[in-house]
Amino acid sequence: MSEGPMSEIHDCGGEAAAYVLGALAPDEVQEFHRHLASCSICQDEVQSLKLLSDALPLAAPQFAAPKTLRKRVMADVRADAKARQPVRAQWRPSFSISIAGPALAGAMAVALVAVIALNGNTPTTRVINASVGYASLRVTDNHGELIVKDLTQPSAGHIYEVWLKRGSAAPSPTKALFSTTSAGQGDVDVPGSLHNVSEVLVTEQPADQTQVPTGAPLIVTKLT
Amino acid sequence: MFPASKTKRSAHAVLPDEDLMELARDGDARAFEVIFDRHSGPAFSLAYRMCGRRAIAEDVVQEAFMSLWRSSARYEPGRGSVRSWVLSATHNREIVKDNKNVGDDSIAERLEAAERTDVEVERRDEATRVRGALKGLPADQQQVIELAYFGGFTHTEISEMLALPAGTVKGRMRLGMSKLRVALSDPAGALT
Repeated sequence: MSEGPMSEIHDCGGEAAAYVLGALAPDEVQEFHRHLASCSICQDEVQSLKLLSDALPLAAPQFAAPKTLRKRVMADVRADAKARQPVRAQWRPSFSISIAGPALAGAMAVALVAVIALNGNTPTTRVINASVGYASLRVTDNHGELIVKDLTQPSAGHIYEVWLKRGSAAPSPTKALFSTTSAGQGDVDVPGSLHNVSEVLVTEQPADQTQVPTGAPLIVTKLT
Repeated sequence: MFPASKTKRSAHAVLPDEDLMELARDGDARAFEVIFDRHSGPAFSLAYRMCGRRAIAEDVVQEAFMSLWRSSARYEPGRGSVRSWVLSATHNREIVKDNKNVGDDSIAERLEAAERTDVEVERRDEATRVRGALKGLPADQQQVIELAYFGGFTHTEISEMLALPAGTVKGRMRLGMSKLRVALSDPAGALT
């Protein structure tokens, strides 16, 4: 058992049912995620109730999806497959991939860097799109804000963590732990200065293992 | 003899979702087409039940599947089935929640019944069982679950709507969900 102190003030079980039903407000979801990371009671409850997530939709009257919808989706998928095939091959992120590898050099080439403001004392803000994942990093005076989209909420007991990579050193952990909204969006300040930082990475981590990356990065944003 | 594309699609049709997602990750649109055919019905039905408008339901399902396609590189079977992912993505789309179906029987738009393939029949049998379990709940528990899950209302909104304390609403959700879990894992189990 790894029940945290918050469980003493939380309605364990009651919150879990509301969470699985999607009946918590966004701020309550964020709070519940923090609680969930340290409460084994709620983790178990959510896990068992999530089995109902597959079943409940079937309580609605069942229809086949319209054929026009199928056509639209598959047209988009085929167009995307065609457009992204070379980039897709360059992804397959792994911490073991050499940064200087030609594939990543290619990915860097597609990173979009935009100068938004440059005016006297006004700080310069660069917006750098991620080369892996859907995110953008706003860098102002060497401080960063990471804005992510299309990133599903972390699984129970897990959380997203921001890592900073400097040169060829292993990525170092930060205190930036975050979740995403039900729409897959998130916004997190990158702690400290980005001086000498070559990459800002995001991994999904077990909530109690935030010092060493346990999986490949879901988001890679290159600064150099 | 089938054309090559048809043969490939037939080969895909027998693969489990996890294998199809592997292929989709490599850009195989035909593999994703099979995924769409397997799970678009329940996803569309859920979206339509939630918002009651065909056009919005179609948009929601399209977004959910495109999101799955774009996320295919990150899909991990250990974290849940493809169906769970699709249904969860459909259920969580803000646009569905912003266009709640308030149970207006005057909604003119109606859908034609789907053709009954074996898969459809199987799904409908399962759907009948789930509906039976939901209807077997005490009315107050069924009401809060339906308002939350299909209506897209938060527990706070439901408590205001029903003039009940928030704790009561959450308590009913908890009890109802526990009973549903028992009923669906053991259909003979009591719902009383």
